[in-house]
Amino acid sequence: MNESPPTGSPDPNDSGVPARQAQSVAIDEPETKRTFRIGVGSRLYFVLFGAVVLMGAATLLAYFSFNETLRHEIQLAEYSMPNLIDSVDVARKSAIVVNGAFRLVSASSKQEHTAVVKATAQEIASLENTILELEARSAFSEQTQLIRSDLEKLGSHLDVIKQSSLRRLNITQALNVFIDELGETSRRVERLLIQAIDDQAFYLVSGLRRLDDKVRPIHKRASEDELTAYRNLITVNQSANLAVLLLDEVLVLADRQFLTPLEERFDSAVQNFLHAYEKLPASMHDNQLEENLTRLGAIGKGPEGVIILRQEELLRLEQERDTLTKARITSESLVSEVNNLVAQINEEALQSSAAAREAAQTGIFLLILLNLLGTIGAVALGSLFVRRYLVSRLVELAGAMREMASGDLEVPVQVEGHDVSKPEKGSANYVRQNIKYLVWNDEVTDMVKALEVFRRYAHEVQRLNLVEKLAKELDAKNENLEQALTNLKAAQEQVIAEQKLASLGQLTAGVAHEIKNPLNFVSNFANVSIELADEIEELMKAAEDLDLEEIRSILDELRTSLGKIKEHGNRADNIVRSMLEHSRDKEGEWRKTNLNALLKEYVDLSYHSLRAEDNSFNAAMHEDLDPNMQEIVVIPQDICRVFLNLVTNAFQAMAEKQKKGDGDYLPELTISSRQLEDHAEFCIRDNGPGIPETMRDKIFEPFMTTKEPGKGTGLGLSLTTDILIRHGGSIHVDTEVGHYTEMRILLPLEPPVEARNSMDNQTDEAG
Amino acid sequence: MTTRMILLLLVVVATPWVSVRAASDQQTIMFGQSAALTGPARELGIGMRLGLLAAFSEVNRKGGVHGYRLQLESLDDRYEPEAAIANTRSLIEKHKVFALIGAVGTPTSKSAQPVATEAGVPYIAPFTGAEFLRDAKKRPNVVNVRASYYQETEEMVVRLNEDLGINRISIFYQNDSFGQAGLNGLRQAVNRHGLTLIEEVYYTRNTEAVKIALLDLRRANAEAVVIVGAYKPAATMIRWARRLNFNPYFINISFIGSTALAKALGPDGTGVYVTQVVPFPRDTTLPIVAQYQEALQAIDTRSKPSFVSLEGYLAGRIAIEGLRLAGPAPTREGFLQALVRAGDMDLGGFRLRYGVDDNQGSDRVYLTRIDDKGRFQAVDKMSLP
Repeated sequence: MNESPPTGSPDPNDSGVPARQAQSVAIDEPETKRTFRIGVGSRLYFVLFGAVVLMGAATLLAYFSFNETLRHEIQLAEYSMPNLIDSVDVARKSAIVVNGAFRLVSASSKQEHTAVVKATAQEIASLENTILELEARSAFSEQTQLIRSDLEKLGSHLDVIKQSSLRRLNITQALNVFIDELGETSRRVERLLIQAIDDQAFYLVSGLRRLDDKVRPIHKRASEDELTAYRNLITVNQSANLAVLLLDEVLVLADRQFLTPLEERFDSAVQNFLHAYEKLPASMHDNQLEENLTRLGAIGKGPEGVIILRQEELLRLEQERDTLTKARITSESLVSEVNNLVAQINEEALQSSAAAREAAQTGIFLLILLNLLGTIGAVALGSLFVRRYLVSRLVELAGAMREMASGDLEVPVQVEGHDVSKPEKGSANYVRQNIKYLVWNDEVTDMVKALEVFRRYAHEVQRLNLVEKLAKELDAKNENLEQALTNLKAAQEQVIAEQKLASLGQLTAGVAHEIKNPLNFVSNFANVSIELADEIEELMKAAEDLDLEEIRSILDELRTSLGKIKEHGNRADNIVRSMLEHSRDKEGEWRKTNLNALLKEYVDLSYHSLRAEDNSFNAAMHEDLDPNMQEIVVIPQDICRVFLNLVTNAFQAMAEKQKKGDGDYLPELTISSRQLEDHAEFCIRDNGPGIPETMRDKIFEPFMTTKEPGKGTGLGLSLTTDILIRHGGSIHVDTEVGHYTEMRILLPLEPPVEARNSMDNQTDEAG
Repeated sequence: MTTRMILLLLVVVATPWVSVRAASDQQTIMFGQSAALTGPARELGIGMRLGLLAAFSEVNRKGGVHGYRLQLESLDDRYEPEAAIANTRSLIEKHKVFALIGAVGTPTSKSAQPVATEAGVPYIAPFTGAEFLRDAKKRPNVVNVRASYYQETEEMVVRLNEDLGINRISIFYQNDSFGQAGLNGLRQAVNRHGLTLIEEVYYTRNTEAVKIALLDLRRANAEAVVIVGAYKPAATMIRWARRLNFNPYFINISFIGSTALAKALGPDGTGVYVTQVVPFPRDTTLPIVAQYQEALQAIDTRSKPSFVSLEGYLAGRIAIEGLRLAGPAPTREGFLQALVRAGDMDLGGFRLRYGVDDNQGSDRVYLTRIDDKGRFQAVDKMSLP
């Protein structure tokens, strides 16, 4: 029921707990309540306090690292970023200012010019402000001074270009007006002249000036004056056309130097048409024509005429280009200086930014580290104080309680630290012991100790109950065992009786046959005796002729006959007796017995019994019995049972094989005996199916049978073995499957002690 | 339902007042015209405008086209190509016209038409027969109504040669793209008849310096003078010719401005021929001419029928027909496609047909002659005076 504790079987006086522990429980119990110690509550508070301290440390660290980051960020925001923005602003505005010069030169209208001038002035002002701001904030005075001087130079260039280009635009505007006027004037001049030339030529040919005129005769109309007038008209037309063309050329000319020859040619063209016009007759003078011709000359040569204006325009353009080149050189210097500034400020800003980033990264790293340490610390504290010193012990305690509740009071309550005690001053390892005591001496240890005391009491009570219960149970068991033994014996006897009855049944047929034989003899010899008696009576009736010799011979025959009757009667008697003996319950007696004869007798009995059941069975029998075999002291009833079992088994096996096998099979049984030095050997061999390997070890076990149900009890060979053991003999099997089985019995020639004792007490009834 | 009835009632009651507003609120389709409204070619521009207005007013009175009112915005280009370009741009960009219509003159059209083509704006019925406008592949937006100068000059040569057996044909032309177009057409036409021009003379545009040219014609002894020019120099030239007793057949191309010419010639005009590309404007047997006269009377009771305003009226009618065919939501592309797909059209006796590569509606050339009273007569053949 109860498992024995692993430490060994409990000593009834000591309940499995070492005496030292039991002692310490008893001592510690009252003491713990008074001495100083760190209780569970204090420990939990300590853990909490540790966590709070770590958190506080983390917060402090975070505060300092973010403060540092913030400081750098402020530096970046208040100093570097504005500088950067300003420097980029300077660069952008410088570009606008530089661009302004180009835009002024290429401006195509006054509005555009004004807009550019305004925008550029604004940008310059704004640029100066930005530079001032930059200077106020930081120490880039070297760069800003350079920029400032360049800007001044650029400003003066711009002023030059501004003035010049404004004047130039005015000129261009004036020239555009002239271009329109020139076109209009030249068209008018052309129309008027073409009409005049047409009229003059027609007049010269037809002599008609108007539709209603009379035709002027040829000698009148083809006068030198008329022809000269026609020639002068042509000259006016040509020179006017030439003048217009020259002015057109002046307007598209790009090279100022070539203006002089054009001007000369224009002068002569104007001279020519004015001169030719003057020479025209008064009738051909036309106000409109004259006006337009004069205008044409004025357009070209006036003090504000096309040629002079164009000259100034080209000159200014050249000058502006020169200034523009200067401005460009200044601009390049300005741009490079601005770039320099931007690069410097950018570098500074990058440094600030990098510092801020570094501070932030350091802060993050420290925070992560602290967090990690905090977590590890918290886990360690939790594990140490809560899990190791509290929870695990409480769990153990609970386990112990649960076990006790389920009735197991054998195991002593053992939770870590339950065995520490306050060390004596001056003892070995005093300090370490004291620490241990402080660590483990808490309420849990109290509970453990209390529980252990409780367990011990409970265990004692339980054990007392248990001994009583065990005694009762043992009594009941013994009774049961005895009952079982009785039942077993009864059953055994029953089995043996049944076995005997079974073998008796087996023998019945053989016995009947054996008895029938002597009875036949008895009957026959009785009839012979009656006849013989009748013969004697006849002989006596014919007494006159009494032949004594004859009567004597008859009487002899009668005697012989009666002897036979007696003999066979005895034989029948023997058979019946042996059968009775065989079935008798009481133990057989030890007797000297001829085992060869017994063997033969039981071979016959068994054979006939089997044939009585199955007359188709035939077997050849061979005998090889030792004629010198001495009689041996045995219990014949038992030994004959051995022989009967073995022989019957052999016959049955062979019969079985014959039934299954082919017709050529002839069962053969060979019995043999030999007297050895101190043993008698009997062999019973059949040529049956043999015993399979798997069965060989089991055949001598009780209730082992291969026969079909009802045919055998399975006790035969088991009893055989028992009987032979009683006789101090043995049995051996030699078999080959499909060929043969040979059972060899060995019996000692000297009877066992039991036999001798028995023999001494009985009278020899043999005879 | 009741609400609707009330609304309907209100509408009926308010109709006299509302209709005025409705007219102005109605969606309009704007057409633009750049033409000479002043200067020597002013009669042409004004005449075209009159005819267009007559056609538009006529259709607007009938409720418009698919409910749209048609409007015409006319700008004066003084027959100057530069002004024509500026006007066309202004009409397209500022006035957002649906199409340009009734331009006058070859050099002006030559300048303005590319502007319209680039903007994808239809260029309808320019008053010119110049051949370049008939190239439908390069100018898919151009819709010509009248026959070309080539067709007119061909008709002239056919009539001169076949009716009168005249071989000595000369030309008097204006030295610009208009005159050049007439010159090219005439050269090809005489070549086709196995002839050559015996004299080619020109005058300067916007002048009347024509007399030296006249002397050349006389010296060449031309039997017929084809005039490709404006009515004023043409009239001057003809009158001087009469004065010199030089009397060949004078045949003017349609652009001349027939009424103005007849007026300028006075008695010297008798027997002067003009080829026309529209029916005779007084021939009311043609339904289109009757409609034209009615429409003209409706807008201006004092105006008299003329070839130019009839051409303007026909231009307006074609524009209306195109819009009608283009459906209720007309697009410029749809308008042009509708005319191409329309096949044969008969506007009351004036037949037109457009095709994929054919942007000229009419191929008819009509011959007219000024009689001794200075009036035009429609004639089929030329005859001896």
